Amino acid sequence: MTEAASTSPPQGKEQPIKASEIDPKFKYELQKMHGSEKILKCFQCGTCTSDCPVARFSDSYRPRTLIHMAQLGLKDRVLNSDTLWLCAACFTCTDRCPQDVEVASVIRVFRNLATEKGCIPQVFKDQAQSLIETGYAYKIPDLRIKKRESQGLPPLPKGNPDAVKKTLKGVAFFDRVQKPQGEQASGKQ
Amino acid sequence: MSSPQDPAKPEALRVGVFVCHCGLNIAGTVDVHAVAEFAKTIPDVVYVKENRYTCADPGQEEIRKAIRQQKLNRVVIAACSPRMHEPTFRRTVAEAGLNSFLYEMANIREFASWCHQSDPAAATERAKDSVKMAVAKVRLMQPLQTIEVPVTNKAVIIGGGIAGINAALDLAEQGFKVYMVESTQSIGGHMAALDKTFPTLDCSICIEGPKMVDCARHPNITIFANSDLVKCEGYIGNFKVKIRKNPRFVIPEKCTGCGECKDACPIEYPNEWDNNLGTRKAISVPFDQTVPLVYSINRDYCIECFKCTEACGERDAIDFDQKPQEVDIEVGAIVVSTGFDVYEPYDMPLLGYGKYPNVITGMEFERLILAAGPTGGKVIRQSDGKKPHRIAFILCVGSRDKQHYPYCSNFCCMYTLKHVVQLKEKYKEDVEVYVFYMDIRSPGKGYEEFYDRARERGVNFIRGRVSRIDEDPVTHNLMVHSEDSLLGQPIEVEADMVVLATASIPKKGSDEVARILNLSRDANGFFMEAHPKLKPMDAPTDGVFFAGACAGLKDIPYSVSQGSGAASRAATVISKPKWKIEPIISIVDEEKCKKCGACVDKCPYGAIRQDADQPAKIITASCHGCGTCVAECPSHAITQMHFTDAQVLAQIHAALETNPEDKILAILCNWCSYAGADLAGISRCDYPASVRAIRVMCSGRVAREFVLEALRLGAGAVLIGACHLPYDCHYISGNYKMKDRTDALKAMLTKLGMSPERFRVEYVSAAEGIHYAEVIREIDSQRKALGKEKIQAENAKLKPILENMLKRK
Repeated sequence: MTEAASTSPPQGKEQPIKASEIDPKFKYELQKMHGSEKILKCFQCGTCTSDCPVARFSDSYRPRTLIHMAQLGLKDRVLNSDTLWLCAACFTCTDRCPQDVEVASVIRVFRNLATEKGCIPQVFKDQAQSLIETGYAYKIPDLRIKKRESQGLPPLPKGNPDAVKKTLKGVAFFDRVQKPQGEQASGKQ
Repeated sequence: MSSPQDPAKPEALRVGVFVCHCGLNIAGTVDVHAVAEFAKTIPDVVYVKENRYTCADPGQEEIRKAIRQQKLNRVVIAACSPRMHEPTFRRTVAEAGLNSFLYEMANIREFASWCHQSDPAAATERAKDSVKMAVAKVRLMQPLQTIEVPVTNKAVIIGGGIAGINAALDLAEQGFKVYMVESTQSIGGHMAALDKTFPTLDCSICIEGPKMVDCARHPNITIFANSDLVKCEGYIGNFKVKIRKNPRFVIPEKCTGCGECKDACPIEYPNEWDNNLGTRKAISVPFDQTVPLVYSINRDYCIECFKCTEACGERDAIDFDQKPQEVDIEVGAIVVSTGFDVYEPYDMPLLGYGKYPNVITGMEFERLILAAGPTGGKVIRQSDGKKPHRIAFILCVGSRDKQHYPYCSNFCCMYTLKHVVQLKEKYKEDVEVYVFYMDIRSPGKGYEEFYDRARERGVNFIRGRVSRIDEDPVTHNLMVHSEDSLLGQPIEVEADMVVLATASIPKKGSDEVARILNLSRDANGFFMEAHPKLKPMDAPTDGVFFAGACAGLKDIPYSVSQGSGAASRAATVISKPKWKIEPIISIVDEEKCKKCGACVDKCPYGAIRQDADQPAKIITASCHGCGTCVAECPSHAITQMHFTDAQVLAQIHAALETNPEDKILAILCNWCSYAGADLAGISRCDYPASVRAIRVMCSGRVAREFVLEALRLGAGAVLIGACHLPYDCHYISGNYKMKDRTDALKAMLTKLGMSPERFRVEYVSAAEGIHYAEVIREIDSQRKALGKEKIQAENAKLKPILENMLKRK
């Protein structure tokens, strides 16, 4: 399976924008989705990006640019962008926005749309897989468990994968993450 | 409900009908002879005449002749739109000795021949109905007289800033007595506190000072400084205004302005005129050019050592026992020029204003760079008194911010450009200037060139909004964080001083002024104009006018123009001995009035008063004749002259007398939807001739009974045409009142089993002829799709319920 973002350059900076890439209806779709209702209020002041703790250390994550691309209708570029997944959901951008655009929620909407499309970075897929199998998002390595034992620490509580699975099924997690793995490769092109 | 077909007949009605051919404009499509023949069959019509061109002199003479010879007491002219020639024929009938309100027009050109060219037979039928409707209305018309009220030829200006000063001087020069009320100790407003003005960089007080002095010296101007507006009663031409002169503890008539008291005074306090950067004495004037030049004692700081009294000596101008004094004045017009306040961003902690000493506002910077300011024109840092070498200017602080003030404050871009040009021209390469902006707005004369000048001087413009300012606690230098959005990178800039171009906001106390003068304010708190484009200086209350920033932020040239504009508008009132009012106003039947006060809230002009246990009273001079109160009155106690319930119902009856199921009854407001329908005709947009249109002044006049009665009579569909929401209504908010009413009505009718498409409210502007034609086409096809049988079945079901509802009223 190919890495989700590898087919398209991130943030669309490298490639000139082709008319065929622009989907003018995308913004109206976003306006109807919970979290991104106010996306068209954004006037590109950059306050979100200025105070974003991730943008400060990243050379590519710029929430302002993602929103502008979405307003313009560069749907594929936004959803294929791997920088989308760098947001730490600290909501500083939402706090600071002078136009009341809920920036962090807009990013969440982008991620949901990307997930539906199957554009999920491998690291998150691995996490999902771990969650399904063990009930933990992060699989504790055997080495650490042994180390705990050697230090006389009590064993970690066992995960309950069945209960987790039940919950995940309720939110159609499998449909989004597990099942379409085969479809993703074909669906992407 | 009395039958509208049954008019009181003091004398036998003699209606004359004049059918115009308008060359072939009408006669080319409509069978005018058939219309004339039909008119002869209408009861009370005693004379019918066809004219080739009724509006031409021979046509008008025909009318005058017929009125005299045939002793006509009512006239119907079937011709073009009343929006075209109603005033012409009013004069014509008046010249023949008939009251000019005893005639009605039937629009058979724009509303028949021009819009139904493809179906001459239907156009003729519509024209006949139009004549029948006009006769039905004219039977019930009453003679009306234009109302005249006397006018006091004086004006009062509330607020003595640059806009108010110009209004006062212009009115005074035209020979009118002008009172000027200023709440602070000196007239001059914000402009008197500025250093220079953009884009010419002339000294602000040097150009405003002479005008201030002119005001003080002008024999026609009386200035009440340090005074407040307390009360206002009356109406256009006849306002009674109460002003309170607050105590200065100095007698203005005796004070010579010598300043010896100030030299003797031992107490200093922060001078608000200097944004508290400098100090003034407990007895002092706020600044040297103060007008009127009268000293004031601030009793909050005065220690009552009476050194000033000693210094004043024989002049004896100081009076510690001075009390507030109320003055009553009578004026014919009021100019409101109360200006604005400047936002102090204490509630934006991320910018550190009030916390970091070197973060200041633009107004504070103004006082720093001003030669007569507290630092003598030296720009220095508050933390160490040193000269800053790197200064960051931040635009849109509080403006364009949904959490503070969502609007653009109009002049901050330009005054910041002024500040940076001043700095660069004064200190050259010794100072590095950064401007953080989102957009630079420079649309005035010479403004863009001024922006060029700033760039050419080497100012750094960074496109991004500042998210945060951090301070180095040791050096008190500031780190400004933003994104350079053109580079797409977060950026930080170190500055020795930060200047915030803060939002300008509605003047504190605007709500009080609004209450006293019965003005409305927009969502941001600025006063609302009667019309944002065509009446930018008129308040909705007649006789009250706006100048300057109180009705939306404006820079100096714009405020000056508005001052003169408002003076001119006020002069149109106070230059006349009497003010004429169209008699199409509302009147209250005191016996029917249940004193509920519902009309008071619904009147867009505050023209109705209802005191406890008293019937509602309409202030004739304030009533604009929209008729909203008539439609809202639950006890039918209000009547709008010339558009009475009986008259409109008679039109509805006439329109729906035959084949009501095949007809669309449209009630259109005069200003937008009727004009839009006219345009459909003028543009020859062909649409179905099944519509029968009735004109009212405002959609707010459309009472529920009109719709219910039309449906009771079996109308195929009912349309209400209104001006577009939110601001197009010519009576401020009549369309909203109509919407509230009809939303509920439609829901109810649908619940009772009426197909929802049979009752429609449509917003049509005067420019939307095509839209109007489309609407009629749509309703007509819906009506046809429903079919006559279904409509009749629905009506049969509705009729008893509607009759019941109409009976109860």
